[in-house]
Amino acid sequence: MTGAATHWHAPRSLREALDLREDYGDETVVVAGGTFLGVLINNGVLAPEAMLSLRDVPELRRIEIGRELTLGAMVTHREVENHPEVRRLWPALAHMFSLVASPRIRNRATVGGVLADADYASDPPSMLAALGARVVLEGPRGRRELPVEDFILGLYETAIGSDELLTSVVVPGGHEAAVYRKFRTRSHEDRPCVSVAAARHSGRLRVVVGAAAMQPQFFPDVCGMGASPREIADEYAGRIDALSDARGSAEYRRRVVAVEVRRAIEETHHG
Amino acid sequence: MNCTLHLNGTETALGVDGKDMLLNVLRDEVGLTSVRGTCGIGLCGTCTVIVDGQTTASCILPVGLADGKEVTTIEGVPSDDPVKVAFEKANAFQCGYCTPGMILTARAFLDENPDPTDDEIAEALAGNICRCGCYVKIADAVRLAAGMLRDEKVAA
Ligand SMILES: Cc1cc2nc3c(=O)[nH]c(=O)nc-3n(C[C@H](O)[C@H](O)[C@H](O)COP(=O)(O)OP(=O)(O)OC[C@H]3O[C@@H](n4cnc5c(N)ncnc54)[C@H](O)[C@@H]3O)c2cc1C
Ligand code: FES
Ligand code: FES
Repeated sequence: MTGAATHWHAPRSLREALDLREDYGDETVVVAGGTFLGVLINNGVLAPEAMLSLRDVPELRRIEIGRELTLGAMVTHREVENHPEVRRLWPALAHMFSLVASPRIRNRATVGGVLADADYASDPPSMLAALGARVVLEGPRGRRELPVEDFILGLYETAIGSDELLTSVVVPGGHEAAVYRKFRTRSHEDRPCVSVAAARHSGRLRVVVGAAAMQPQFFPDVCGMGASPREIADEYAGRIDALSDARGSAEYRRRVVAVEVRRAIEETHHG
Repeated sequence: MNCTLHLNGTETALGVDGKDMLLNVLRDEVGLTSVRGTCGIGLCGTCTVIVDGQTTASCILPVGLADGKEVTTIEGVPSDDPVKVAFEKANAFQCGYCTPGMILTARAFLDENPDPTDDEIAEALAGNICRCGCYVKIADAVRLAAGMLRDEKVAA
């Protein structure tokens, strides 16, 4: 079926997982829910010689709720979307996770996996960036936190070091409003053509556009202009270097950005 | 690696490569050809199995992630199960190719949501494709099954 047998590491604690990661680095492929890697392996794009499964690391499965929300890297999309307290206190976040793929994929796909794969057409990065979330990375040099927009460096490229693991995501609370709009052009359970996340915190607006370019698009200076929703939307549409793919051409995407950004900001005013 | 699946209630020990997909292991090693590979990218739902109570695309699940888990295929659903009976009663198939995945998806869904609305049924099944286009009857079957399951509860 496949070539040589894969070394399968299944650590049972975070300490053990971090030690293995430090010892083996990127040669050993970290696997979380497997939905992204499974597609690559099943289609012959990737044939790992060794894998490091985070499935049995209990520390990565926590959901902690306080002033901020901490989602362990191995928390699944489904767990976030169905968590009563998350739905009550971070409704836009829970709603956004419920819009990803189908239940069958959300049952497995993890919060850490979707951030670490850094696919341009994923839903969670833009919403998390709009909420001001921070990614927590741990490795031999200790623990560090990065805002989501600084963590994603480009297409499939993140700030995770070859000796680090993404261990959690921390989402601030207390937003006056938060909105997620997913614009699809094909089937209901498809990835977005354009997604817009908008959030207000302490009177400050953050608008992040996903899936339109190689990485989430956030222009703090535009959000801080105090301009009308339409002006902000037009500025986003003008600045984004949109890409073309099967879900829409660059020109089409810019048009959609202008409409969807305006609608998202308007929605933050209504509730 | 040595991998143990609690497969349809039977402990099944297998010598596998952890990165082989559960779909291929179930078909080629165990002989369960009701689990069907089609798109191979998690989209269509014909390879759906239930792993620890949750539907999963077996075509993209490295079997190492299923080690020690309960895995249910259509063979593990009793023939008098209300969802199976409802699919028959509602004639919710033509060729039957998508049916195992549909029934397993409906089964897991009704466990979570015993009294679904039509929209919730459509949402739950949106990731399962029926090439024969039996969607209307499939939705009928799920509604029928939901009613039968509720009646069973009342009777019990
Ligand atoms: C059919 C289908 C439809 C989809 N539709 C959507 C959609 O509509 N919207 C959307 O946003 N996404 C969509 N996705 C993508 C899906 O959400 C991602 O595949 C998933 O979130 C990845 O998570 P995972 O846990 O399965 O990751 P894995 O496949 O296990 O890993 C993904 C990558 O992250 C690395 N990694 C994982 N965890 C860590 C960690 N803790 N530390 C360091 N590295 C790590 C892995 O090495 C790998 O490179 C879809 C996927 C499929 C198959
Ligand atoms: S074959 Fe697995 S979802 Fe299509
Ligand atoms: S009955 Fe033929 S594919 Fe659904």
